[in-house]
Amino acid sequence: MLVDLAGGWNPMWGRLAWSQIPYDNPILAPLFVAVVVGAILVLGLITYYGKWTYLWKEWLTTVDHKKLGVMYILIGLVMLFRGFIDGLMIRTQQAWAVGAHSSGVFGATHGYLTPFHFGQIYSAHGVIMILLAATPLLVGFMNIIVPIQIGARDMAYPYLNALGLWLTAAAGALIMISLFVGDFAHNGWFGYAPIFELQYSPGVGVDYWIWTMELVALGTTLGGINILATIIKMRAPGMTWGRLPIFVWATLSANVIALTSFPALQVALALIAADRYLGAHFFTAGLGGNLMLYTNLFWIWGHPEVYFVILPAFGMMSEIFPTFSEKPLFGYITMVLASMAIAGVSWLVWLHHFFTMGAGPYVNSAFSVATMLVGIPTGVKVFNWAFTMYRGRLTFNTAMLWAIGALFLLLIGGLTGMMLAVPAINYMVHNSVFVVAHFHTMLLVIVYAIFASVIYWFPKVFGFKLDEFWAKTMFWLFSAGTVLVFVPMYMLGFMGMTRRLDYVFNTVWHPYLLVMEFGIAVYMLSVLAFVALLYVSIRDHAKNQVGADAWGTSRSLEWLTHSPVPFYNFAVLPHISARDEVAWRRDNGIDHVQPDHYEDIHMPNNTGVAIILGGLTFVLGFALVWRIWWLCALSLLAIVALVIYRSFKGDPGYIITAAEVEKMEKEALRREAQISK
Amino acid sequence: MSHDQDDPTLHPEVQMSTSQGYFSGFAISSILMLAATFLVTSHAVPPFGLLMVISACAGMAIIAQIYFLLHIDVSEHNIWNTVALVLFIPLFLITIGLTWWMFSQLYLHTMIMPGMTH
Ligand code: HEM
Ligand SMILES: [Cu+2]
Repeated sequence: MLVDLAGGWNPMWGRLAWSQIPYDNPILAPLFVAVVVGAILVLGLITYYGKWTYLWKEWLTTVDHKKLGVMYILIGLVMLFRGFIDGLMIRTQQAWAVGAHSSGVFGATHGYLTPFHFGQIYSAHGVIMILLAATPLLVGFMNIIVPIQIGARDMAYPYLNALGLWLTAAAGALIMISLFVGDFAHNGWFGYAPIFELQYSPGVGVDYWIWTMELVALGTTLGGINILATIIKMRAPGMTWGRLPIFVWATLSANVIALTSFPALQVALALIAADRYLGAHFFTAGLGGNLMLYTNLFWIWGHPEVYFVILPAFGMMSEIFPTFSEKPLFGYITMVLASMAIAGVSWLVWLHHFFTMGAGPYVNSAFSVATMLVGIPTGVKVFNWAFTMYRGRLTFNTAMLWAIGALFLLLIGGLTGMMLAVPAINYMVHNSVFVVAHFHTMLLVIVYAIFASVIYWFPKVFGFKLDEFWAKTMFWLFSAGTVLVFVPMYMLGFMGMTRRLDYVFNTVWHPYLLVMEFGIAVYMLSVLAFVALLYVSIRDHAKNQVGADAWGTSRSLEWLTHSPVPFYNFAVLPHISARDEVAWRRDNGIDHVQPDHYEDIHMPNNTGVAIILGGLTFVLGFALVWRIWWLCALSLLAIVALVIYRSFKGDPGYIITAAEVEKMEKEALRREAQISK
Repeated sequence: MSHDQDDPTLHPEVQMSTSQGYFSGFAISSILMLAATFLVTSHAVPPFGLLMVISACAGMAIIAQIYFLLHIDVSEHNIWNTVALVLFIPLFLITIGLTWWMFSQLYLHTMIMPGMTH
């Protein structure tokens, strides 16, 4: 042992012990029982209906970018729900534990959560929402849509794509298991030196946090490489840079950020791991370490990361506004330049997260100005969207409502961001709930864009539309919740309420906190509306079937092929002749022309290697957290061996013959003809 | 731009890789890292000198890795490597340079000087 560990350690089990299982916790123990019962039920049902082979062949071993994307989105939605429950718990504690006379249960002096648990919940909430909900949801959409939009059959590296998914799944599993085995970090989602050092956080919580973040970072970096290679190398003939759909440009700029910034996070976390595991002193005050160096390294990644998540959301909005305005996107070129400019500036502003470090007027002013520069390209985008809608034939279906809602949130979030970028203001509100309200408004832009995309692209992937009534109900409930939670939060921020309070000393704030609690209840209703939306839409799917162009006014290439998209995407790779290819073909009356003959299609084979690597990585992460060294060595060895094995084996792929393609195409066309009747 | 099915081992960037190159890259960076670790743990040099020496080791390790492991050069057939390099160098300068600037200003204002703690 290079470091002194509190509590026991033995070679066989590392730090694991029965006392680490919180079976006496009044919230976690029943939850654990519910999870086990639920899992047995699901596994039982799969066995009962004999779906294991289907699941393994069609989903778990797939390298199809659409199925991987769907699984990314499923993981994202599950984690979004988990993060939402965390949020609900935080809000409830703050609405309850107000003033010295508030009651306390479950061992808490005030409210129902002890500070120890409260800290873990807000830390997990942040990590989950940014890295395991927003990021997988966006990566999922990029995965599904980008190859179809550029006219490719799959990603450049289908196997790497699967690997990225299973690494993300491993990270999700690791953070979930921290609920039931051990505990989670209480240092917030971004971590603070020196609280995450071993002396101050002797448990395993910080280790869970480190390895979860490392795994997502690895998965996202690999995914970024793949998407960049796909966009650069796999475009259909005629798909020049000037004709690239705008969502592809947004994805490109986002993944340039991912590729260049995620390594900084990985290094920062690895250095904490060196401190905690090897007894190094990178971020301690003694022996030459530097506390603020951690904050610096983290935000070198952290700020680019927030643009990594907002740029694809901007891309989604740029696809949805033109479709439902029946006009081409206003200012395509400026939109592309704005995305690139935002990506560029995102590397230059990270110090605005620690203006209060005290680097002095020169440094603070420089970073303040750099931060405000972001407003220019963002403003360009907002005006472009407004001009796209101006004098258009607007259809207010739910996708459009979400997109317009995102626009309003962007305005509020952008303006409060500008305020925060002024160091004089920042010194007043830094680490208050005003900042929390700012970045939630911004992240809600992303959530709105994601739900807009769910409505917009669902028919493309599954072949039927979602129910409009329940979609609208969900939208209005969600928006009501947003107003009720975040308007009071801004107000509390101005009143000086600091973030992350497990006990609220000032009773004047109580009414606001109660309004927020009510707001979160309304959010809960919108979650139920979402479930109803899925249920009703799947029940009535036969009524809502769509053809290739689900909205009738679509513009980009993904609407050329059938809905649902066949696994080979396009029977014959299209030749691109215009920026909005489908709109161009529609205008020229050639949108229904079918190819006169088909050719063989070369597709990649499925592989079980990716999911096994994901499983082994989870084991490695778990073993590292609990310091079970033999298991670390074993799983790492297995991972390396498997990677080498796979790279020597390679994948020759397989051929779908022209005759088979023709048969499947006939079938799809027959289905389409039936719908239009 | 379509998916070409030629032999991937014939690509120029694959042709450039040899096990000898990989091993030398690995060996050189390992030796440099061990040397730096030894210098730090043994306090062989005064703090400021240490900073210089391990920075120099890090710089050499970067060059060795770029050359032996990543095969980055500016030749025609490796145009994407050049693109990566053009992207990387400004970012490297920005992150290191601005970090250096903000911390030197911080030390100036808080009167902590590197090495004062020793
Ligand atoms: C107009 C553009 C923006 C400006 C000028 C801006 C400015 C700022 C500033 C100055 C802070 C630091 C506040 C403090 O801690 O004192 C901040 C925090 C933050 N911003 Fe923004 N921001 C902008 C856009 C965004 C976007 C697009 C996102 C994400 C989608 C975002 C997410 C965040 C997050 C996550 C934090 C703080 C995280 C934390 O402290 O936990 N911001 N922003
Ligand atoms: Cu920022």
